[in-house]
Amino acid sequence: MNIKEIAKKAGVSVATVSRVLNHPESVAPDTKERILQVIEESEYTPNWFARGLNFNKTDTIGLLIPNILNPSYMEIAKGVEDVAHQKDYTVLLCNAENTVEKERKYVDSLLKRRVDGIVLVSSLLENEDVEGIKKQDIPVVLIGENKGDVRDVPIVRIDCEGAAYKAVRHLIDIGYKDIAIIYGSTPERENKRKIEGYKQALAEEGITEREEYIQEAANTIEGGYIAAKRLIDLKQRPRAIFTSSDLLAFGAIDAMKDHGIKVPEEIAFVGFDNIRMSNLIDPKLTTVEKPMHKMGVVGARLLFDIIDKEEENTSREILLQSKLKIRKSCGHRERIGEIF
Amino acid sequence: MISAGPWNRDGKSIRKSIAAGAGAVITETIVTDTLLDVRPRIAYNGTGAQNIRLYSEIQVEGWQREMDIAKSKEGIVIASVWAHTPSELAYLAMKMEKFGADAIELGISSPMGESLEVVASNPERVYEMTREVVRNVKIPVMAKLSQNATNISKVAKAVKSAGGSGVSAINTVRCILGVDIDTMQPTLSTYGGYSGAPIRPLGLASVAAIAQAVDIPIAGIGGIENYRNVLEYIMLGASAVEIGTAVMINGFEKITEIVNDLEKWADEKGIKEVKQIRGTALKNLKSFEEIKIEPVVSRIDTPVCNADCQACVKACIYGAIRKDGNMIVQDSEKCTGCGLCTFVCPDKKFRLDW
Repeated sequence: MNIKEIAKKAGVSVATVSRVLNHPESVAPDTKERILQVIEESEYTPNWFARGLNFNKTDTIGLLIPNILNPSYMEIAKGVEDVAHQKDYTVLLCNAENTVEKERKYVDSLLKRRVDGIVLVSSLLENEDVEGIKKQDIPVVLIGENKGDVRDVPIVRIDCEGAAYKAVRHLIDIGYKDIAIIYGSTPERENKRKIEGYKQALAEEGITEREEYIQEAANTIEGGYIAAKRLIDLKQRPRAIFTSSDLLAFGAIDAMKDHGIKVPEEIAFVGFDNIRMSNLIDPKLTTVEKPMHKMGVVGARLLFDIIDKEEENTSREILLQSKLKIRKSCGHRERIGEIF
Repeated sequence: MISAGPWNRDGKSIRKSIAAGAGAVITETIVTDTLLDVRPRIAYNGTGAQNIRLYSEIQVEGWQREMDIAKSKEGIVIASVWAHTPSELAYLAMKMEKFGADAIELGISSPMGESLEVVASNPERVYEMTREVVRNVKIPVMAKLSQNATNISKVAKAVKSAGGSGVSAINTVRCILGVDIDTMQPTLSTYGGYSGAPIRPLGLASVAAIAQAVDIPIAGIGGIENYRNVLEYIMLGASAVEIGTAVMINGFEKITEIVNDLEKWADEKGIKEVKQIRGTALKNLKSFEEIKIEPVVSRIDTPVCNADCQACVKACIYGAIRKDGNMIVQDSEKCTGCGLCTFVCPDKKFRLDW
């Protein structure tokens, strides 16, 4: 059933049906009711793509995430979707898989589909890429920091450096001195900041940095396993490991189990993200809780502020608080820090 | 005013508070990202209540609709907001301003277990939070302070220098209501906020301390159950009061009752404006150095007492009171004028005098 048939069935012109759909206030109540009834009976739905061409609005937004297999991005996606759903928008989810080419391709595709806005999560795009999107009058919002130096775009993020500092500080406070870091090659800028936080905590305590304790890995469970093996093979094995993501910690703890090394008795762990599984692995993972869902929620709100033309400040930055979730893997028994 | 809490959880319940006579209503605390409330989350022991994490379950988007309902007729609606960073808090406040809130209350002092320190114990942090919100909204901003602070006056000062229009004090006090000694279960499963009559003395002291140190409008909160309690807060320097637990336990009609009693009292006394009585008890509130020590001792007018209670005898820690048959015998040599007997006697027979 198309709009012409609806018009015929209701005995009105196509223009009237169109007005009922798009400017219902301009149609006489009796007529409107009759047309709506016909629409309902015939289960007619407008062609939203065509509607987007006419109204320059498709009620869809694009969401680009670095890796669909990393549950932390799913939590962010859920936050974005929760807000979009309330606004009656549909989210097109694109998995950039940590490659800038794939990300650019998806952005092109989203622009062709005339999305009303785009949310970039820990994106690899450069400033000129983002400028390109904005030139088409499509609002962009960042969740987490970009690799490139993107300016004049609203952003919601956490203080990665401060959070990592607190995590390593916690390990130092328990009594560890030989502390290693396994960091993911992506997201690049955020993980660089985590390394800075790690180094700052060590320096403050006068602990000498050891190059072999700073291990890069693919930001996956496998990456964590491989990096952990490199640490196990060292002459002076670390007593504690901070990882830039929970997935890395999962892989590294798995490696420890395979080598008969007890966690946390022989080696302690603090992760980053607090994905749901971190509470289920054995031992339960002490980790930095990144407010992922909240980041998604706020990111989506910032985007809709621009779409709905409610915000003039297009470079608003919202910093959210992360906190240390103390469980078992760090070997710390006292829980008061977790409660308050 | 009706304080932030689940009794003001949406537009409809806010309308009920206003209809019952509230001068202003503060929404249940609105946060960036809602969580499902735990169950159970409120406990009551007959005098005081403990709650754990009472934040709005309505997302920010939903508050646009609720605020429309709340503001559909007359009445002042204040949005209570809480977040963990200045930028997050300011953004929430801006949203509520757009939705039509008349003012903002910053719930910076929630004592719930969020693995983060209570911000209201840190004047610098309170300053940063308040300043960022004040910079981003045009409506008045007040901060809700906590008794869990080393020096509440300093925190109030921080609010004022950050551009805040007022403070409210006090928020609930971190507590565990009790433990079941058979099951070893705490009353509720985590630390919570204590409210109701038992915290009124804490609220009164906090309000007085702020009023004596900082020139800023104060909304007194804590254990207000009747019009007399309202007057106590105002006489110690509050410009307004917030009522919560009494409404939670007794329903919205409690608001009407207190408002009517206040009007009646004011009519009888010929009081037309709050400012006529505001802070009038402060001049009688002295520092230790200012208290003149008079050699008063406990006195009674009629020593005959047929009551069987012995309360005065038991409570006289100096051994200056004994009972001989139905006669009260006082030893003014032993009496040090502490005054406790004047409070424990159910017949109010004792007074302190030369």
